[in-house]
Amino acid sequence: MNTAEFPWLTTIILFPIAASLLIPIIPDKDGKTVRWYSLVVGLIDFCLITYAFYEVYDPSNPGMQLFESYTWVESLGLKWSVGVDGLSMPLVILTGFITTLAILASWPVTLKPKLFYFLILAMYGGQIAVFAVQDILLFFLVWELELLPVYLLLSIWGGKKRLYAATKFILYTAGGSLFILVAALAMAFYGGDTTFDMQALMAKDFPLKFQLLAYAGFLIAYAVKLPIFPLHTWLPDAHGEATAPVHMLLAGILLKMGGYALIRMNIEMLPDAHAFFAPILVILGVVNIIYAALTSFAQGNLKRKIAYSSISHMGFVLIGLGSFTDLALSGAVLQMISHGLIGASLFFLVGATYDRTHTLILKEMGGVGQQMPRIFAMFTTCSMASLALPGMSGFVAEVMVFVGFATSDAYSTTFKTIVVILAAIGVILTPIYLLSMLKEIFYGPENKELTSHEVLVDAEPREVFIIACLLIPIIGIGFYPKLATQIYDSKTVQVTDMMRASVPSLVNQNAQLSPYAKQAMVAPNLTQVEIGG
Amino acid sequence: MIQFLAETAWLVPLYPVVGMVLSLPWSPGIIRRTGPRPAGYVNLLTTALGLLHGVLAFPAVWHQEPTYLYFPWLEVAGLNLTIPIELSALTIGATIVITGLNLLAQVYAIGYLEMDWGWARFFAFLALFEAGMCALVLCNSLFFSYILLEILTLGTYLLVGFWLNQSLVVTGARDAFLTKRVGDLFLLMGVLSLYPLAGTWDFSQLGEWAKTAELAPATATLLGLALIAGPMGKCAQFPLHLWLDEAMEGPAPSTILRNSVVVATGAWILIRLEPVLALSPVALTTMIAIGSITAIGGSLISIAQIDIKRSLSYTVSAYMGLIFIAVGTHHIAAALLLVLSHALAQALLTMSAGSIMLNTITQDLTQMGGLWSRRPISGLSFLVGVVGLIGLPPLGGFWALLKLADGLWESRPWLLVVLLIVNGLTAFSMMREFGLIFAGQTTPMTVRSPENIWLITLPMTVLMGLTLHLPLVLQVAGLLPSWASLDKNVALLLLSSSSMGCLAGALVYVVQIVSTPVRLPVPAIQNLFANDVYTPQLYRSTIVFGVASLSRLANWVDRFVIDGVVNLVGFVSLVSGEALRYSTSGQGQFYLFTITFASIAIALITGWTLISQSFPIL
Repeated sequence: MNTAEFPWLTTIILFPIAASLLIPIIPDKDGKTVRWYSLVVGLIDFCLITYAFYEVYDPSNPGMQLFESYTWVESLGLKWSVGVDGLSMPLVILTGFITTLAILASWPVTLKPKLFYFLILAMYGGQIAVFAVQDILLFFLVWELELLPVYLLLSIWGGKKRLYAATKFILYTAGGSLFILVAALAMAFYGGDTTFDMQALMAKDFPLKFQLLAYAGFLIAYAVKLPIFPLHTWLPDAHGEATAPVHMLLAGILLKMGGYALIRMNIEMLPDAHAFFAPILVILGVVNIIYAALTSFAQGNLKRKIAYSSISHMGFVLIGLGSFTDLALSGAVLQMISHGLIGASLFFLVGATYDRTHTLILKEMGGVGQQMPRIFAMFTTCSMASLALPGMSGFVAEVMVFVGFATSDAYSTTFKTIVVILAAIGVILTPIYLLSMLKEIFYGPENKELTSHEVLVDAEPREVFIIACLLIPIIGIGFYPKLATQIYDSKTVQVTDMMRASVPSLVNQNAQLSPYAKQAMVAPNLTQVEIGG
Repeated sequence: MIQFLAETAWLVPLYPVVGMVLSLPWSPGIIRRTGPRPAGYVNLLTTALGLLHGVLAFPAVWHQEPTYLYFPWLEVAGLNLTIPIELSALTIGATIVITGLNLLAQVYAIGYLEMDWGWARFFAFLALFEAGMCALVLCNSLFFSYILLEILTLGTYLLVGFWLNQSLVVTGARDAFLTKRVGDLFLLMGVLSLYPLAGTWDFSQLGEWAKTAELAPATATLLGLALIAGPMGKCAQFPLHLWLDEAMEGPAPSTILRNSVVVATGAWILIRLEPVLALSPVALTTMIAIGSITAIGGSLISIAQIDIKRSLSYTVSAYMGLIFIAVGTHHIAAALLLVLSHALAQALLTMSAGSIMLNTITQDLTQMGGLWSRRPISGLSFLVGVVGLIGLPPLGGFWALLKLADGLWESRPWLLVVLLIVNGLTAFSMMREFGLIFAGQTTPMTVRSPENIWLITLPMTVLMGLTLHLPLVLQVAGLLPSWASLDKNVALLLLSSSSMGCLAGALVYVVQIVSTPVRLPVPAIQNLFANDVYTPQLYRSTIVFGVASLSRLANWVDRFVIDGVVNLVGFVSLVSGEALRYSTSGQGQFYLFTITFASIAIALITGWTLISQSFPIL
């Protein structure tokens, strides 16, 4: 069999979905067979992803690879076309990795296990599809489809306020995705030839006003997902109520869809509009970082605290997207990967702690470090990763964004200085809330009220294994960033070149459209693409 | 062989890393049969190997030009980062000091923490410290130095938080991390903005660049200030000094390292950055000002402390302040000499203090006394430490301070006054501590306080020997300033300030010509220094309060404004749906009425627009 022609992506997407359909007929009363079955399915799919990545994928090629296209509904022009490039590949790998670990993390789930694993496996395929599809109509469909399992996972297995959280989640995201549909259809039908193919849409030339409108539409949809202030309030509720495995998926993968789609559609298809929106993205990024960090500090609920910290970290992605340098864009992608790993590990540990203390209120915890030294050590390590300690992936990503933005020639020095200083303040706030959190959970004298009615057992090998799996890439990337950056480097360079190519003409032509953009942006000198030296 | 060892001297930081990894199996619950002690022995061995490697390699680099090694690290989109390693007499000498002190501290720890349950953790953290410091001195790049400083910050956090169920320990660890992190972040900003300007992060190339660089004064000032902030946090300089005081809650063996070499890492960075800092006169002035304030303030606060370790910790701040002054006035050699002599003397003082603390139930100086006859070795070590620290010949501190004083005499005499005052105050403070611990009558706390086991006494005695021999070593290395070139008057001034301080301290606290505890006529001043110039309160009412209230505000906005709008939308749609429900009543008349009413309304509205179009006046 020729490995290059095998329909890898279709197999990778459909295999877990097909496998999930078998779950109802598996004879299983206590849910133990089903979980092993799901784990094996997850592992096989992850192996497929890795194999395809090693054998067929070429990281030095910025173009679309492993591409497949079949006509699906001819009258609509809908095609099943999937492919990966430097942007999708790392996220596909991340999805396979995190989802498999999430299946392992859902061992304690005892309520309706068949339905639970069915939904998780369905999500597995759905999530990969979001990153892999290359047809904008299909993208909208899988984007919507993947919401459904999340809604059910939230509303059946969640905490006390799960229905409120699930409804809020579905209304927000479904409302947001309406904008995707409208903008996508408008772009597809614009001009003479109707096409849903993303590559063709990229090649289409839209007038600026149209681009700005479509950009704004996409931005609203993806701002909900990423999330961007002020459309973020679904996230603390959803994350605050979800169980640990769902949590890992929400933080590890679903948030990344927003960032991915922003690059894929807003930047790649509408580069002219991006030149206008970029300063706004940067400002929103700074607001995200500081606002969410401050709010996180004030949270008394552990899950909500970590949820806000996720929002804060996503701010770096926004700054990276808006900075017009390949270093910062590369940093933004790395931040998505890195936060996928770190966020998943933190949320898993929060779940593990909750399983023991049965409370999420920080005031009711305290001094549990001595009884649970392994959880304590892992929690400390993951918090250090989250606060961007050097030697961990978060630091590399944030420094790349910082350096990239600071050396960007698209903004005036004053603007850059203010943004960098404000973002740095956000970075100081991160250890403040994370260390205070560690202090409240683990340090100090034992809380007698808690220990009197809860049995605090230390981490079991399964939990240590999950965290070790997540920490290895976190530390690996931290010490040797090339591990991750080489997968997508050629692609981000290409995107940046394209993004920059559309800037100078805009600033000269239509500066009156956005007085702010004119103020913040000076026409870059295209010969000086690389940063100094 | 020696050449080979010298070429592979970059391995020195890896020995402790190996030790750290090897001590993992003894963390709780993995290997139970042996108990946790093997973790300590493994680390002792790796540290000894590191020391041996450094010592054997040293002759090969002595009087040689530095050699540089490069390891590629990150190659992404136009940014190529390699890790440059500098192998020279200075850097390898520094690793010898670090590994040597670490070895002594580890032997000390084996004795000190005999009863502790967290050996694996403690020795792994010590190894992390050691690895970070060795890597820092060998590393020739500002960027990687920053990374290593952050790792040292982590090490401080973990070590201070070692006894994690004491609440003071917890706040100490957190504050140490946060304070240093604030400094480090400013440093990072400086590091990042330096790259586009200089195009390099290598210290040696930065020096070359700084010779010819022409920067706008504002840029140079901002850059210089940002670069100073990191060492300020590390060296516990005002206003980022409080963490060192709080860090004294950690175990004494780690305090030995922290007081002697870890705080000095900040000074090391400062010394290496001196050519860049020299670009900005404002930065230099700031350094001198901060150094002077901390030096005088620290030595005054030190006199007012009643905790045996905290009193020492403020002299550390004070001496680091002197190093700030030295770097600010371009006296690099004096600064390095001061770092070395301070490291040895301070480590000895801390060891002696720790050995007293372990067998005496209290850490409170006012409850001690009369230990000289019971603890002669500790007492002698303390005295040698004092003499090695302050400007009393013939020990190391004298030569370092003399070199600095001699340089200051020519350029800035008023800084010489600062130095003399600090030296005198430190002498007084140290004699006070000595007097309170060892002189006078025994107290209930000190009646049963024998000398410790050899594991504690031996490293202390070895270090005492090293401190005593430091001048000889310096003499052999040709690092002592030649007596002929020095100003005898300056030496005399230094000597008199030390002896006056010692004499005053001895009179008050050893001979006790006034009754102790000494009460100043104005209690407010005494309280001011006893309470660290009220810095904790200052922090609490400004930064802590500010962040806490801002975060509460943000939380309020998030819940009631942003989420409030969202929930309001939901609420309004629910309510309007509920209200509209009552319109479907099933009565035909009501439907007819609604239809008629709506038709009339539509007719009126369309009619009105038509009329107003034909009669524009309306």
